[in-house]
Amino acid sequence: MAFEWEELLQEEVLDPGILSCQGCGSTIAIRQVLKALGKNTIITVPACCWTIIDGPFPYHSLKIPFFHTAFETAAAAATGIRAGLNTRGYKDTNVLAWAGDGGTFDIGLQALSGVAESNEDILYICYDNEAYMNTGIQRSGATPYKAWTTTTPYESPNKRPKKNIVEIMRAHKIPYIATATVAFPLDLYKKVKKAKELKGTRFIHVLAPCPPGWRMDSELTIKVSRLAVDTKLFPLYEVEDGEKLTINYYPKEIPIEEYFKLQGRFRHLEEEDIKEIQEMINTYFEKLLEEHKRTHGTIDNIKRGVYK
Amino acid sequence: MGDLKTKKGIKKVLYGNHAVSYGVKVSRAQVISAYPITPQTQVVELLSEMVGKGELDATFVNVESEHSAMAVCIGASITGVRTFTATSAQGLLLMHELLHWAAGDRLPIVMAVINRAVAAPWSIWSDQNDSLSQRDTGWMKIYCESNQEVLDSVILAYKVSEKVFLPSMLVLDAFILSHTAEPVEVPAQEEVDEFLPPLELPHALTPEKPYAIGAVVMPDGPYMELRYKIQKAMEKAIPEIEKACNEFYELFGRKWEFVEEFMMDDADVVLITSGAVSSTVKYTVNEIRKREGKKIGVLRMRILRPFHFEKIRKILSGRKKVIVLDRNISFGLGGIFFNEIRSSLYSVSEKPILLGYIWGLGGRDITPKDVEGVIKDAEKREKDEDIIFWGLKKENINL
Amino acid sequence: MAERIRYKNIDEIPDVALSTGTTRVLKTGSWRNVKPVIENKAAPCLKACPLGTKIPHYFYWIIEKDLEKAADVLLERNPFPAITGRVCPAFCQIGCNRKRFDERISIRELERYVGDYIIKRGYKIKELPSDTGKRIAVIGSGPAGMAVAYFLRRYGHSVTIFERESKPGGVLRYGIPSYRLPKDILDKEFEMLLNMGIKIETNKELGKDVYLDELRQKFDAVFIGIGAWVEKRMRMEGEENLLSGVHFLKDVNEGKETSKFKGKKVAVIGAGNVAMDVVRTLKRIGAEPCILYRRTEKEMPALEEEREKAKADGIPFHFLTLPIKAENRNGKILLTNQKMKLGEPDKSGRRRPIPIEGSEFQEEYDFVIKAIGEEADRKILPEEYLGEDGWPYADKKTGATKVEGVFAGGDFIQGPSTVVEAEAWAQRAARSIDRFLKGEDINVKEIPPRTVSFMLIRTEYFDKAPAIHPQELSVEERIKSFEEEVKTFSEEMALKEAKRCFSCGYCNSCGNCYVYCPDMSILWKDGKPVVDYDFCKGCGVCASECPRGIIQMVSEI
Repeated sequence: MAFEWEELLQEEVLDPGILSCQGCGSTIAIRQVLKALGKNTIITVPACCWTIIDGPFPYHSLKIPFFHTAFETAAAAATGIRAGLNTRGYKDTNVLAWAGDGGTFDIGLQALSGVAESNEDILYICYDNEAYMNTGIQRSGATPYKAWTTTTPYESPNKRPKKNIVEIMRAHKIPYIATATVAFPLDLYKKVKKAKELKGTRFIHVLAPCPPGWRMDSELTIKVSRLAVDTKLFPLYEVEDGEKLTINYYPKEIPIEEYFKLQGRFRHLEEEDIKEIQEMINTYFEKLLEEHKRTHGTIDNIKRGVYK
Repeated sequence: MGDLKTKKGIKKVLYGNHAVSYGVKVSRAQVISAYPITPQTQVVELLSEMVGKGELDATFVNVESEHSAMAVCIGASITGVRTFTATSAQGLLLMHELLHWAAGDRLPIVMAVINRAVAAPWSIWSDQNDSLSQRDTGWMKIYCESNQEVLDSVILAYKVSEKVFLPSMLVLDAFILSHTAEPVEVPAQEEVDEFLPPLELPHALTPEKPYAIGAVVMPDGPYMELRYKIQKAMEKAIPEIEKACNEFYELFGRKWEFVEEFMMDDADVVLITSGAVSSTVKYTVNEIRKREGKKIGVLRMRILRPFHFEKIRKILSGRKKVIVLDRNISFGLGGIFFNEIRSSLYSVSEKPILLGYIWGLGGRDITPKDVEGVIKDAEKREKDEDIIFWGLKKENINL
Repeated sequence: MAERIRYKNIDEIPDVALSTGTTRVLKTGSWRNVKPVIENKAAPCLKACPLGTKIPHYFYWIIEKDLEKAADVLLERNPFPAITGRVCPAFCQIGCNRKRFDERISIRELERYVGDYIIKRGYKIKELPSDTGKRIAVIGSGPAGMAVAYFLRRYGHSVTIFERESKPGGVLRYGIPSYRLPKDILDKEFEMLLNMGIKIETNKELGKDVYLDELRQKFDAVFIGIGAWVEKRMRMEGEENLLSGVHFLKDVNEGKETSKFKGKKVAVIGAGNVAMDVVRTLKRIGAEPCILYRRTEKEMPALEEEREKAKADGIPFHFLTLPIKAENRNGKILLTNQKMKLGEPDKSGRRRPIPIEGSEFQEEYDFVIKAIGEEADRKILPEEYLGEDGWPYADKKTGATKVEGVFAGGDFIQGPSTVVEAEAWAQRAARSIDRFLKGEDINVKEIPPRTVSFMLIRTEYFDKAPAIHPQELSVEERIKSFEEEVKTFSEEMALKEAKRCFSCGYCNSCGNCYVYCPDMSILWKDGKPVVDYDFCKGCGVCASECPRGIIQMVSEI
């Protein structure tokens, strides 16, 4: 079958030579994100892997203006840029805050919440690699339950479940929230396109596998991303106005063990741990199904089979 | 003040805080973001009202912290628009990281800091430690004595910041200025427009300029050179400030100098002061001169950064005694102004006796009696003394 | 070209850390120690096809609805796809990776679809090379002879075929019943072959009308592909009372009178493909045939498909039954049969039938037809052409006989086989002949292509979908006539089925490698992926996400 990604066959909005690790999930994500947004975009990036990835001074990869901002300020800086651009008449220029999980779930949450509560007109995308990877794999609020990091060693793995950022954002009743991940690039692309057309605070949570941090081979990025979805661990869904919930794809319901066994950060899990986590996953997915049903009256309209 | 050249300005009775607001208004700030803190709130209350009523064509962004307020200003400023924020004490300290950021990105942001004591314990009254703990962030700093000076300094701050591309911090004392009403002349908009053209930021990020700002610089990259350039910009700011002040005088008839010299011509003893308390000091010195004919003068430090070493040296060279009055303290060192003055006198051949007084911390009242007391105390001292706490209650402390 | 930024002096450095250069100056490819190599590999179907037909490749063009290109690819390896698309046992389908996912692809039906398209639009071989001036005589116009002629023609040689019968085709015309291979398909296919400039002289039998020595003198090379037409002997009493299966089929195919079989009881001995053709033909001409076979259904040499069709046609199979005597009783045949049981496996791996003492029984038939297998005419060639076993010999890899300039193949050498195997032999022989004519060594060492196993297929990129099967006549309809019983795919069916193909080992430009590359290092050039080694860090995502095993990570250390 000939080329299956017509929408994504566009000029790249970033140059190669980027300083990402091999198999970096976030770079796969940003390619699709920027293709959806186009060059009429300004990006602001707080401390995160992308601080480094975009290149050292005086070089940079992205073919759009890139503003490096402080760790906790992505949402606020983006708001400022938006205000500035509006003042200068650049009303159709997209403003993108592109932040890691640390800058979103943890240190940047306050500013993000403030901005979301004010429904400032920005697109905020969190590429979530589930720990402070740029500093060397320290635990963040996005680190999964019982996962290893350098600050939650095998002897004492992460004690708390991952913070549910989508639920937090939902509570702000912003117009658009979506989850996405790199194995489904068209899904991500379409969500960004959709978000682009909306006004107000739009939030996309992108799961971006990190081979060094997840203790896995670099070639597994897509595979693991796909498994995250198909195990129901990371369902693909959208929430509009904090209320209407749509599951975009019905996972294959693969046992979570398949996801865990590819990653060294879960290698210590015992059978009962896996069972416990599987139950947590099932419960949450059931909840999502209920909400989908509440929105759509049925769950039969959820796409199954090959999803992109 | 001489002849008022202004023909179109309007006299108003304004709180110091509102003088800030009017200064911002006539400077046509385009994006304003702030978070409330006593005693700053009136500044942004009035500004939000002005924006709300359409009197000021700006975007007012409410945020959840001072940190974000500065982040919004930085974000807006990087697109090349004029920005403003105001804060005090804890809020300023929370911003600290971003003050460096603004200077590092060479953004001409102007901020009003309503000087307030730093917790703990809580205190909301005048004290310079909040602003002085931001001394090394790369911001220009203006310490104001009157509400007219406050308003005028806002305009001047934009003028100079937008010449040298460094941010400016305008400092006024909590309550003493902020909540005290004085007659202030608000210059006419068209006159301010003549003085202050729209901002043109050479490194503004707009979609047609796909550059990155602030990327990591390796040790062999020009991080050090970029720091050198900030220093050079501070040095360049000295003549720019002088030029701007002259131009301002030409247009508005008010002369704001780098430092203010009061009865300094023949003064052997110089009291160095800053902020609103300067008025009390000047009043007392004048009284003593009239009464006793003592050769006392006052040097009011208006601009702390850039520090005009040459000027200070020239003024203080040959004086017998220099008394520096600090409403602040660097623990383990002493008064901050004192130490800066002292370092400026290092190369002077005939050094005056140098005395450092710490007073008025946490809003402790400073009266003419205190000024007289200091002068008398200083008369007794014939050698340098770094730290003298004035007004410290050591006994019979009844609350 | 991106260049590194240099500041001549400090004033040239911007006031802020303003990055204006591109990261293209940072050749991150130097981080790599393994590199992706994009290279097509062999699909199991391609590998299983004796002709090496580039199956996924021409499927690609079916999907693209460019049947011209599909035809070009198919004809590169297969001279008459409309024929093999009907009669091939389709070895390709056996190992189809898709079988392990849901159902195998109907490869043969797709081949037939393109084959019929070729017939419809007329034969066009792209860029036939200019004439080499070399002339080759081909004896026999069956699958081997025709195919060798075709391939030689594509090499640019002149070919003259000498055919014993009045029409070309050999077993295709005289052996295969027209309900499986209609004569007009055969005629059209051959007409097109002859239009390529292949000359044919019919009614020229080797040893009668043409002689090998003479051909050797007149031509630069000779290929013998005269098939295997001699019925094997059963060594039973009264064997002369039995009819020959191949002769029976030839008669029917030639349109000879068949009314004598109508309503008659006919026993057919044997259970190979010829036996199936014989019983099914008998059924269509109104006889009441049955099969007699000494082993069981499990050991039947006929293709499963043929067997099932014969069964569906309603033909009784008598297993473990061995005729041992045939007596002519007033024009009818009295067969004495012995019941058998299965013993230990023999050389072929099938269990050997052992007679059961005293189990003989008799049955009377109007006709008994023998279809136990055919062999070459071993007397047709002189001594120097025979192998140690006394049969005509030619090398399996090259088709060369022991006599220089003479090549042979097909059923004549390998014994009764399939059309595709005869064609494949011809393909190898044609290459040898070409090399021989150029004075090159005819022995070519071939490195077999790497096969893409099911393990390398990323099934997550495919939806399950049942195979598309061709329309067929119902049993009631088909046993009444010689109308072709299987229909060619419609375009819709062909598209649907071709789209099911995993395209194992053949890059169909799906774009996964391009989309998933974290380093913008898979470039998309003229519809194909190209690795940009300047920046590729060797992560392996492209190889991992290639749905069809085309990208391999190769060590660079």
